[in-house]
Amino acid sequence: MENLVYVALFAPFVGSLFASLFGMSERKMFVGYVASALLATAFAASATLAYNLFTTGEVIHVTMMDWISAGDISIPFGFVIDQISVTMMVVVSFVSTIVHIYAIGYMDHDKSFNRFFSYLSAFVFSMMVLVMSDNFAGLFIGWEGVGVCSWLLVGFWYHKPDQAREDNPSISPSWAANEAFIMNRIADLGMLVGIFIIYWNTGSLQYDEVFAQIPYLSDTILTTAAIALFIGAMGKSAQFPLHTWLTDAMEGPTPVSALIHAATMVTAGVFLVIRANPLFAETPEVSFFIASLGTFVAFYAASMALVERDLKRIIAYSTLSQLGYMFAAAGLGAYWIALFHLAAHAFFKALLFLGGGNVMHAMHDELDLFKMGDLRKKMRGTWIYMTIASIALAGLPPLAGFWSKDAIIETAFNEHTYILWIMLVITAGMTAFYSFRQIFLSFHGEDRHTALGFHPHEMYKFVLVAMSPLAVLAIITGWFMGAYKGFIYQLGEGVQYEMSEHTHHLATYLGLIVIFFAVSGIVIAYLKYARTGEKAWKRNEEVEQGFFYKLLKNQYYVPKFYEEFITKPYAMISEVFWTKIDLKIVDATVDNIAKFFYSTGDKTRAMQTGNLSNYLNWMAFGGVLLLVIAAISAMIG
Amino acid sequence: MDNILSILVFFPAIAGLLGFVVDKESARSYGITVTAIEFFLSLWLWFSFDMNNAGMQFVELIPLIPDMGISYYLGVDGISLFIILMTTLMTLIGMASMGETKNIKNMIITLLFLEMTMVGVFVALDAIIFYLFWELSLVPMLYIIGAWGGPLRIYASIKFFLYTFTGSLIMLVGMLFVAFLYHDISGVWSFAITDWYALDLPVNYQLWLFAAFFIGFAIKVPMFPFHTWIPYAHGQAPTIGSVILAAVLLKMGTYGFVRFSLPMFPDASVMAITPIAVLSLIMIIYTAMIAYAQKDMKQVIAYSSVSHMGIIMLGLFAMNAEGLSGSVFQMLSHGIVSGALFMLVGMIYERRHTKLLSEFGGLAAVMPKFAIIFGIMLMASVGLPLTFGFVGEFLVLLGFYKVSPMITILAGTSIILGAVYMLRVMKLAFFGPLDKEENKVLKDLNARETWSLIPLVAIVIWLGVYPKPVLQPIDNSVKALLTFMHDKARTDEAKDMIKVAKSTKEAK
Repeated sequence: MENLVYVALFAPFVGSLFASLFGMSERKMFVGYVASALLATAFAASATLAYNLFTTGEVIHVTMMDWISAGDISIPFGFVIDQISVTMMVVVSFVSTIVHIYAIGYMDHDKSFNRFFSYLSAFVFSMMVLVMSDNFAGLFIGWEGVGVCSWLLVGFWYHKPDQAREDNPSISPSWAANEAFIMNRIADLGMLVGIFIIYWNTGSLQYDEVFAQIPYLSDTILTTAAIALFIGAMGKSAQFPLHTWLTDAMEGPTPVSALIHAATMVTAGVFLVIRANPLFAETPEVSFFIASLGTFVAFYAASMALVERDLKRIIAYSTLSQLGYMFAAAGLGAYWIALFHLAAHAFFKALLFLGGGNVMHAMHDELDLFKMGDLRKKMRGTWIYMTIASIALAGLPPLAGFWSKDAIIETAFNEHTYILWIMLVITAGMTAFYSFRQIFLSFHGEDRHTALGFHPHEMYKFVLVAMSPLAVLAIITGWFMGAYKGFIYQLGEGVQYEMSEHTHHLATYLGLIVIFFAVSGIVIAYLKYARTGEKAWKRNEEVEQGFFYKLLKNQYYVPKFYEEFITKPYAMISEVFWTKIDLKIVDATVDNIAKFFYSTGDKTRAMQTGNLSNYLNWMAFGGVLLLVIAAISAMIG
Repeated sequence: MDNILSILVFFPAIAGLLGFVVDKESARSYGITVTAIEFFLSLWLWFSFDMNNAGMQFVELIPLIPDMGISYYLGVDGISLFIILMTTLMTLIGMASMGETKNIKNMIITLLFLEMTMVGVFVALDAIIFYLFWELSLVPMLYIIGAWGGPLRIYASIKFFLYTFTGSLIMLVGMLFVAFLYHDISGVWSFAITDWYALDLPVNYQLWLFAAFFIGFAIKVPMFPFHTWIPYAHGQAPTIGSVILAAVLLKMGTYGFVRFSLPMFPDASVMAITPIAVLSLIMIIYTAMIAYAQKDMKQVIAYSSVSHMGIIMLGLFAMNAEGLSGSVFQMLSHGIVSGALFMLVGMIYERRHTKLLSEFGGLAAVMPKFAIIFGIMLMASVGLPLTFGFVGEFLVLLGFYKVSPMITILAGTSIILGAVYMLRVMKLAFFGPLDKEENKVLKDLNARETWSLIPLVAIVIWLGVYPKPVLQPIDNSVKALLTFMHDKARTDEAKDMIKVAKSTKEAK
């Protein structure tokens, strides 16, 4: 079994190295095939490990070699295969495999095809390191690694020029990539501080050793450590106020958005909270804050999606919103429900994104929903997939999203946090509305694209076939919630969570409330956007000029705020530091000291007249001066 | 080879002297051969180094002026060993990658003399010998900047020389005073640093002496506010000058703190933690911001160098093995990474004869190899895990967290600000549309350039993934140093502050 651990870990790495060998040559199809095959291998290994764990319950622990040891710290490259990490491994390697195959079709006209696969596989490797590591430092390796891969992939089309924010809210791929990297780094500092706190108080960074010491640590230490780690999680999982990078990251190629910015990397923050559940369980204040922030972000992101016209940005907002749900669950202590929603979300969201990619491919990278309409006739397969994914996302039974999301909402009720519960229910309605607004605007209603000269065509067959496993999983994942519960419960009490008797009785009604909201959302979206002829949807400029519409459209002016109050002042202060302080004060002082000596020498040269009586005068003056000094020092001394 | 250290010091100098008779055409290959042999000698030093011995090895001691206690006294420990290796490596690679053609023979000879002085500084165990090499190193660098530099080269070279020379003089006064005190206490003269270690000085003496040495070292590092010579020196120096300056000469300052200030004045060092931490913080944040404002690519790297030296300074005063080992390790990684970055900037300068960021854009399309290597070095510079740059920075911040969480968090902004200015360079130079006609015809790295960079890339990844072969000997010597400081410290505050590693305690 140990070998399988290494296979799962290194197969993507080998794929990345292989693809990078051809990084600078023109497109070679086999690069895509080899990378995909290696990913499939990693998935097979992960699945076998999961099956093995399921049947035997044996947690596998391997230590490859030492990494850093200095002073008393010793960090190995160690990996642990338990219920949490194996869930992530299976999800990551599975979605990655499909996205790799998908990308063979999607990127087939791109001249940097090989480079793309090298980055994409490197991302999967980093993600595997992140989820498999048995210590916080190893997690941090993967954490930063996925950050770099995300940077490379968001900025993949680096040649595009910058645009004004009004024309393109993400400015340019390279700008968006830098924004993502820097914003994540801000959070990573928090994560590092968390690591420092943990090390100095427990003397180790190994999960098991650290968690074993939690009972002996003071509340203050636990709380600060939990806050610091959660700041790290906020960056990766794009929680408010570090959320703006995620929507801008949509500048990357769509397979990237599907894999990194929906299914896997952005869930790393949630994973961290679940992984460190013994810590977060001991810090109820921090956990409640996490749940509240998650709920807020769920609502906040959904509100922005209501008015968005850009296909990919809508899906990005929905990702943000669903991450909020996961944090809500994790913050309320229902770690396994959060993890289950993470997995279910990965499947249906990747499907939705890849479907969006098909639309983009068909519409020559046009993303404006207002320019689409009635695409279902030309893209039947994509339409079916995206509808399935949207139903799952909206949370209608019996699809995946219903089970996992409903459990989260139920948890909020169960914990007596009714405000969170109400917000999550309302958000569920909004989610259904914007998901189907998107479906109806693109696939139903009046045909608006033909007039604009678009001639959309369906994606390649093999791509559609490759997407089918995701569609199946988007439907059926929820049915295995009970089985999964049994699996993860083996891990111990920390991850177990049961609804109270009281909630249990009300469960059916609670579920019906959620379904009511979701269905209402869909119905409203249908009435407004899906009809043709007389009642067809028309743009209403007046609404678009309204205060709320503009507020939501401009993302509550948060990016604008960052630009005006952080980016610009930073550049200005830097300029002042350089030109006004460093050159005019610090350096000028040094030069003036030098000039002072030079001019003193220049002036005192006048003493050297060659005239003997002048010299005698100076000598007398010097003698008196010395006497005075001697007298003064005698008096003082 | 009992006198391997003497060979290491004087081989380049003798070869430099012989270089005068070498034909001009073959000067470059001569220089590369000599520095390659020197590098292999230093590798041999590493392989025959006893990893478990934390003390001085390969010691050579020949009394020169016994009455004055001045002797020819050399030795290496885990701390200096790798700085020497880095010195010989960077000289070799700098020379191999050099595009300079003007007066190539003079340049080669100058570099060989410079190599002697640099190795000399790091092996010297006698203060006078140390001082000799320390000052001598200024001369070749003065010549390199003054003769091969840009339009402001005379101003830059004189500023560099006078500024560092002034600092060194104050340090020399400090050294003489230590020798005087030694004579006062023991009755004999000695300039041997190892003898000086045994001196038990009252705290106020320690403070004055610490200050005197501090001026000398701080200007060299360079610490804020003594850093303003460096933008001129880098701005005007030819590529090879900047590479050596950033990789090796700056490390003399931080090495001086390890070799002199910490073991000789433990109480004063502990008292200096806060002021030095504040200066380091200013270096880290303030110069990182200045780097962001730069319009010239080379100046960005120059200021980033100062910012990274701030991290190294912080680690030196962490007073625990994590921070101090990390700091020494960071000296090496900064040497390799900033050296490589200066080489890269030099390569683009040779093609376009400008370093202004506004002149570039979209270079990744025409120079992919260049962009990839630059990207790797960039990532090492911003401290990405599994690259050389991460290990040191991580350990320094980890170590200093024990001293002050607040200062560490502020210093940790270096991982953010570093990314801010480096990614700006990446975006302005390599990304965006390729819109300048001159840039469309640029050639990618040629074989000479590629092969001089590949070893550095390999090191950056190797020591990022598996730092143990280097980190362990450093850590051994650092632990011994801390134990020594702890035992020697007079005040209880200092004893509390200086942390002896648990493993050392158990070994006792």
